[in-house]
Amino acid sequence: MEPQDKQNASAKTTTLEAHAGISEEQAMPLTAAAWRWFNDLSAQGILITDAKLNIRAWNNWLETHSGHRTERIIGQNLLEVYPDLAKRDLDEYYKDVLAGQVRVISQRLHGYFLPLPPGTDDVSFIHMQQSARIAPLIEDGRVIGTITVIEDVTERVAREDQLVRLLGGEKAARAEAEAANRAKDEFLATVSHELRTPLHSIMGWVQILRKGKVDSAGLEHALEAIERSARAQTSLIEDILDASRIITGKLHLDVRPVDLVSVIEAALDIVRPAADAKAIKLHARMQPLPGLVPGDTNRLQQLVWNLLSNAIKFTPREGRVELRLERIGSEIELAVKDTGQGISEDFLPFVFERFRQANSTAARQHGGLGLGLAIVRHLVEMHGGTVRATSAGEGLGATFTVRLPLIDIGKTPESGGRDNARFPQSVDQEVSRSDFEPPFNGIRVLIVDDDVDAREVLNLGLSQRGIEVQAAATAGEALMMLREWRPDVLVSDIGMPNEDGYSLIGSVRSLELERGGQIPAVALTGYSGVEERRRLLSAGYQECLSKPVDFDELTTLLANLAAG
Amino acid sequence: MELTENQKDALSELINIAFSRTAASLSELTGHRVLLEVPKVAIHPIDELSNALAEFLPAEIATVHQVFSGAVTGDALMLLSYEGAVMLTDLLTDGVGTPNRLDASDREVLTEVGNILLNACLGMFGNLLQVHVTFSVPRLHLETLDALLKSLVIGKEGLRYALVVYTSFRMRDSAVRGYLVIALNVASLDRLIQEAESWEERQGQ
Repeated sequence: MEPQDKQNASAKTTTLEAHAGISEEQAMPLTAAAWRWFNDLSAQGILITDAKLNIRAWNNWLETHSGHRTERIIGQNLLEVYPDLAKRDLDEYYKDVLAGQVRVISQRLHGYFLPLPPGTDDVSFIHMQQSARIAPLIEDGRVIGTITVIEDVTERVAREDQLVRLLGGEKAARAEAEAANRAKDEFLATVSHELRTPLHSIMGWVQILRKGKVDSAGLEHALEAIERSARAQTSLIEDILDASRIITGKLHLDVRPVDLVSVIEAALDIVRPAADAKAIKLHARMQPLPGLVPGDTNRLQQLVWNLLSNAIKFTPREGRVELRLERIGSEIELAVKDTGQGISEDFLPFVFERFRQANSTAARQHGGLGLGLAIVRHLVEMHGGTVRATSAGEGLGATFTVRLPLIDIGKTPESGGRDNARFPQSVDQEVSRSDFEPPFNGIRVLIVDDDVDAREVLNLGLSQRGIEVQAAATAGEALMMLREWRPDVLVSDIGMPNEDGYSLIGSVRSLELERGGQIPAVALTGYSGVEERRRLLSAGYQECLSKPVDFDELTTLLANLAAG
Repeated sequence: MELTENQKDALSELINIAFSRTAASLSELTGHRVLLEVPKVAIHPIDELSNALAEFLPAEIATVHQVFSGAVTGDALMLLSYEGAVMLTDLLTDGVGTPNRLDASDREVLTEVGNILLNACLGMFGNLLQVHVTFSVPRLHLETLDALLKSLVIGKEGLRYALVVYTSFRMRDSAVRGYLVIALNVASLDRLIQEAESWEERQGQ
């Protein structure tokens, strides 16, 4: 304030006094008394300087946190005690204050005011995080000094940082959930497309056959196409059901000691035609006697089959797919390597995720649901193993490596495996499927199914194989025919109205031996879980097969059951 | 009270000088180039301020408020919409704070920036009028425009007019629009306008 403005009486009070409403007469003794309390009570740093920035007051808080004893620091120049202030241009703030202005120093723009050690145990800050306010002390219109109030905001900043991290994490989780949702939508679109493709073929051929103008070669071709499409659709549905079982935690393993070599041989048998169709060389190199793993034979075969068919699917014509099996310490390692399109670095981390495909747009070249590898990972993990994918990049092939724990040496397979002593020294082989025709003639089979088409298909399929068949539409009808016709084997659907397959087998088993009470029985079911199988077997069935039925499998089974 | 074109030019130029210093210190502080523009200056009676500002500001606003006293007495305010305040602090601090809201540290940043801006502006007026003004500690309010303006009118009979400076912070390809409001009594405002005009005349000589 310039001298000519002295007429304004309010200018004669200091800032502190003006705000406290204290008169000039009262000011001095009160100020001194108040300062004693500021000194002791304040949870903030209070620093007073004269107009040359020489320190005139340094409260207890500052003494505690700075390590500068009050009696020593009084009289020293603030900018000399803390040269850091000028380095960070905070001396400019004091210049403004000495010109009569008030200044706020925010933690977020400056971090700290004085370089003090952190007052908390928080190790994430080198300096105590502070905000500060500086105001001029004005006497008779002249700025005679400054007052600085410093606040420790370290804990507040840590809390804010934590909140930012939490919100960031939540945002990431939300983005992930949205991506998963998108992947599901794409998956549903893919499912719809994939299920329609074989249906289109089946419906097309059925319409052609209905016209009746097809020669025997054409008929054979049509039937092959229909069968192929139906099998493809069965496989898709199996994958969807497996994914659903994985999601709901209902995938159970029937664990026994398993010889992986025989499992791999069976899987190779299945994929060989697909490899041959693309002139892909399928090569298996398996270490002899690698040991046994605790596992579910069917699921392990599914796992190997998935890896092999995935490799064949993504390998171009005349490529190569190699399978290697070897024991490494207490584990067994199965690697499937292909010369296919490889996996980009971006997609590699997601390759085992459900519903994920590197290219899920309609333009993608390869069919399938993108569930195979997710199922593989789940099956591997259920077996206590690990699976990883490696690829040098797009166009450079990929390798999938599965590791499974081995059973302690000394145990032998209880069932399902081969006798180790008969293993060849090296199973480096070509695989071919052996056909054998069991003697079916004369077997009498009673079919029970409420669905007329299903009954007819079973009747025809079995009759073509030389089996004598009669069919019943209800449990009551079946019981009557059982008594009168005396079949060798009973084949029954499970899901039927009124009296279902469980009820039927209950009635059958309650019959006396001579009335057919001990007839071998096969259940046909749409649900192929381990639980369902266990229930059916304990209800009285000898075997259960899931729909759709493979006639070769069914007739072999019927022959075995009929033979006792 | 209406400003003539000359008076508007004079006030704009003076505020621009004050702002260029503020912009330079904000640039230095944040490490990003900050530009402050004054596209428009106007004078409104306090009781019409609500209508004048409501056109540009939503109900919820962030305000940095400083009382100044001395030979000239009044209220100085920097007004931003809540979203504008969030955006400005994000731009000034590289978005380290809580997204989409003002946490305590953000509010402090706004207070510091508003304080620098208001002090630069009032310091310039003080020099012009050759008076010294004393400032209160700046306070940040998050409230409605109406509640804020009501608090300005209550108990201040002499406060009749407000100088409104339409302001724009420009940095990193973004612009945040805000307003400076300096509420003065008629005598102070009259004197300020006259001094601005004679300053302008002196510049022209």
